[in-house]
Amino acid sequence: MSERYDRLGWANKCFDALNALFLLALMLTMIIPFLNVIALAFSSGVASMQPDIILFPKSFSLEGFRTVWENLDLWRPFLNSAIVTVAGTALHVLLSCLAGYVLIHPELPGKRIMVTFILITMMVPQEAVMIPLYIVNKDLHLINTLSVLVLSGLVSGFSILLMRNFFLGVPYEMAESAKIDGAGEFRIFLTMYMRLATAGLATVTLFEFVGRWNAFTAAVMFINDSMKYTLQLALKSMIVDTGAVSSNYLITTNVRMAGIIISILPLLAVYPFVQKYFMKGILLGASKE
Amino acid sequence: MRTLRKYGPLYVMMVPVVVYFLVYAYYPLVRGLQTSFQDYRLMGDRPYVGWSNYSAVLHDTSFQEALVNTFIIGGSILLIGFAAPLVVALSLNEVLQAWYKKLAQMVLYIPHLLSWVVIGGMWIFLLSPDNGLVNLLLVKAGLDQPVNFLADPGWARWIMILLAVWKDMGYNCILFLAGIMSINPSLYEAARMDGASRWQQVRFVTLPQLSSTMKVIFLLNTLGILRIFDEVFILRNPTTAPKVDVLMMYTFQKGMVDIQIGTAAAASFFVVLLTLALTLVVRWVTRFDEV
Repeated sequence: MSERYDRLGWANKCFDALNALFLLALMLTMIIPFLNVIALAFSSGVASMQPDIILFPKSFSLEGFRTVWENLDLWRPFLNSAIVTVAGTALHVLLSCLAGYVLIHPELPGKRIMVTFILITMMVPQEAVMIPLYIVNKDLHLINTLSVLVLSGLVSGFSILLMRNFFLGVPYEMAESAKIDGAGEFRIFLTMYMRLATAGLATVTLFEFVGRWNAFTAAVMFINDSMKYTLQLALKSMIVDTGAVSSNYLITTNVRMAGIIISILPLLAVYPFVQKYFMKGILLGASKE
Repeated sequence: MRTLRKYGPLYVMMVPVVVYFLVYAYYPLVRGLQTSFQDYRLMGDRPYVGWSNYSAVLHDTSFQEALVNTFIIGGSILLIGFAAPLVVALSLNEVLQAWYKKLAQMVLYIPHLLSWVVIGGMWIFLLSPDNGLVNLLLVKAGLDQPVNFLADPGWARWIMILLAVWKDMGYNCILFLAGIMSINPSLYEAARMDGASRWQQVRFVTLPQLSSTMKVIFLLNTLGILRIFDEVFILRNPTTAPKVDVLMMYTFQKGMVDIQIGTAAAASFFVVLLTLALTLVVRWVTRFDEV
């Protein structure tokens, strides 16, 4: 890399400096808002309501977090989100892997039909059929249950093809020789493919975890009982809908910002892994047949 | 029979997925199509009404507005959201300090990780006229009146567009960077031998070599135009609604708020048809199959 350009030229140095500044300015549009949110969340209620530019907490206090968690019961939507995310992700990964594994067998009769069957589901975006989906879920008596959120997006063509592409990286001869030794499909799937395609597993799991934690459209459509609210719904009603008053408490700015921070903590925990796996996943997923 | 014994377990493994797609992907399509021809009531009988739901949608001025908004907002997000990350990716590629490049990529990616509720909630606050950071800064910089960005119909569309571009900047940027990484280094070497300047290397090596990546990213983003929902749902308000309500918002409003399910189903089918049409157009324009 370092030999790519003549680094000594005056114009080049000037360009490098400007380029670095440009990126810094762009980064600041991401950093400053977040600093502002963090600072407000850790400020006292009174301080957080004053019109003032703050990037560090003013009269430091944790009352925002206490209020949002205990008085506004944010723990309940947090729990709901956790249940839906964990259950949904686990099932999504399992089903995608099963289907992905089936599709790597080159001589399987009917394989083309299955692939077409899956590709068609990818052509129609979920959002476009949300009204019919509402009707279907209503007929199945699933409105206002957490199951409906687990079921929505239970498996996707994207994940299936992604897993298939990862499984194709496992040498097929290995599976064949195991079969000659008498191993069944399920055993080969569990003991060989699931272990050897861990990068794929990690990718799909992370995508799904983040997607489900953030899922909003399905929750808005299918849930209106506040006991079943997910974190995103609770945040929406707390931050966006209310003026500043709920039934009992004045929701001060620090409370809202504390809600935001709590809701992004699980994402920040997985962020380093997302960075690592996401590029591989995207590239494999985008490359078709 | 032998095939069945040989491949039986594989078909069994496929069953859950097939059942799921039948119930949650194919059946809703059929059911939606049926509903779009019905006067769908929650109770009682649901008489068929021919094309009247479709014509009601087409003659509804708020549908027409939603269509226009979808193409203006979605189209702008598509174009700006394509060009901006490309410029940033090229800029990142010129950074020689590995740590700075890595740091910038990491920071730029954060907004994509967060939900629209979080991002929207944050910006509602940041853009608020009373004590939002943006207005505090603008007033400090000499503006005499704080701007109520989200309640001003003139600004609302731009806010939607810019926030969407901002949010997905890091994501698209990484896709472009991956494309840049895979360019054969000997091409740059050859260009340098011929005395190409830094800019000329970008112009005559990087950009042409990146064209297939560009096509893929453009195709992937095109379908997003019709899917915009969360952002508008969170950032809209009655004042700005006529300027920002997109097709999905219209469908939601008709079905879930006005409880005109038949009309909403008809509107959904326009979205499905538009999606298919758009896919075909983009495939034709970018000749995706040649990639």
